[in-house]
Amino acid sequence: MKKRGVGYGAFFYGTGYGNGFPDESRAVIEITSSGRFNLYVGVSDVGSGGISVMQQIAQETLKTDGELINIIWNDTSLVLDTGTAAASRQTYNTGNAVKIACEKMRDRINEVIGEKELKTKEDVNEIYNLFLDKNIETRFEGYFKATTSQVNLETGQGNPYWPYTFGIEKAVVEVDTETGKVDVLEIVAAYDAGKIVNPAQAEGQIIGGASMGIGYAIMEEVIVNKGSIKNRSFSDYIIPTSMDMPKVTTYFVEKNEPTGPYGAKGLGEPAMLPTAPAILNAIYNAVGIRLTEFPATCERVLAAIKEKEQRDQEKRDNI
Amino acid sequence: MVEVTITVNGTSYTRKIHPLMRLLDFLRDELKLKGTKEGCGEGECGACTVIMDGRTINSCLVLAASCDGKEIITIEGVGGAELHPIQRAFLEVGAVQCGYCIPGMVLSTKALLDKNLDATEEEIKEAISGNLCRCTGYQKIVEGVKLAQTKMKESRGEACECGRS
Ligand code: FES
Ligand code: FES
Repeated sequence: MKKRGVGYGAFFYGTGYGNGFPDESRAVIEITSSGRFNLYVGVSDVGSGGISVMQQIAQETLKTDGELINIIWNDTSLVLDTGTAAASRQTYNTGNAVKIACEKMRDRINEVIGEKELKTKEDVNEIYNLFLDKNIETRFEGYFKATTSQVNLETGQGNPYWPYTFGIEKAVVEVDTETGKVDVLEIVAAYDAGKIVNPAQAEGQIIGGASMGIGYAIMEEVIVNKGSIKNRSFSDYIIPTSMDMPKVTTYFVEKNEPTGPYGAKGLGEPAMLPTAPAILNAIYNAVGIRLTEFPATCERVLAAIKEKEQRDQEKRDNI
Repeated sequence: MVEVTITVNGTSYTRKIHPLMRLLDFLRDELKLKGTKEGCGEGECGACTVIMDGRTINSCLVLAASCDGKEIITIEGVGGAELHPIQRAFLEVGAVQCGYCIPGMVLSTKALLDKNLDATEEEIKEAISGNLCRCTGYQKIVEGVKLAQTKMKESRGEACECGRS
């Protein structure tokens, strides 16, 4: 028989290195004779979208077009230390550094031409020449450090992370009670990652996270024997394919984070957190079994269903 | 060494190669077409997908020596001076994250839509099910394929009108 269930998983996640560890980012903005800005930033981006986030923040702050910002990234002979693209920290941390650098630049621009937007290369070039005439610097550095402190283990007091990202996901599953197979039919995700800088990327991040979460919940298992991984290929370490993915619906609760760049917070790692718990809760809702071991493979689910039936039978016998 | 003549993206190449050279290495190392990726090297991930005589194959599983006289399309040959509608659609919907799976995804999509421009969502999902993607969760890729269908139908429509007038 196929039984359906609904489950929820909720989380809050501290982004950044945390615990008072120096969490620093630097960025440099430069105005050039080519009619464009150079933004130097050390964000590494292998698909996480950090670079376009930095460009968007710079463009907003400088009141210019993204096309007029040239990004120089990752070449350590050219960029300052931005810290790692880890701990879901780049949008918040480096985003702030970029904003600070660009604010310094924009303040000087305002001094020479007022609030005017810079729409063309000629506009930028005009500023560049004015800066030279007036002996104004053409390079500005931004520095940001996240404020966290170590937790006092005796009192439990402290500010170990800042800021936190929040989210909840709903999963609908169908469990085949004869085979133990779990199908995920639907995921609905709602996240508070502050102001969303790039909605298409943020959505992609969450759907991708959901697919990792589905793999984590029902497919992916590293089998280790005496320190060596047994299932080292895609034929025995199974990850979701296009056929395994249900529809994922994404909602953003864009609550302003006052310390974030334009109110933004991190979203990288949080995107895969609530999916697996939601699925396991949905399995419980469908067939009444509590799995405490990942993943919920056919064998595990079936064994747990059998065990439950036995327990239920014993209860009835005792009455 | 064996001599093979393989047509890749419309150009015919004759090369003397090791009989055990994989098509994937022929493309990447002999022809320096680095768009085709190697993921697993054992036919599981689809990163190395290319089109051979209209059908998708995993180029890591095919010996180049067996491709004599065949026609191959790689990602480099999908668009011309401009991007192919599939590539434009992928960009527009944000279907690309790290991009490693994307050449294979685009070729699987092309092989499908060249045969069946009206493919349903299920057919699309099946057509790309041999291409693993760790980043996107596939949803935006499927959306991209659907947008590509619309774009390709539109350009086909325009072509017809031009033909008539
Ligand atoms: S590299 Fe050929 S299928 Fe993975
Ligand atoms: S976009 Fe990264 S694997 Fe598909």
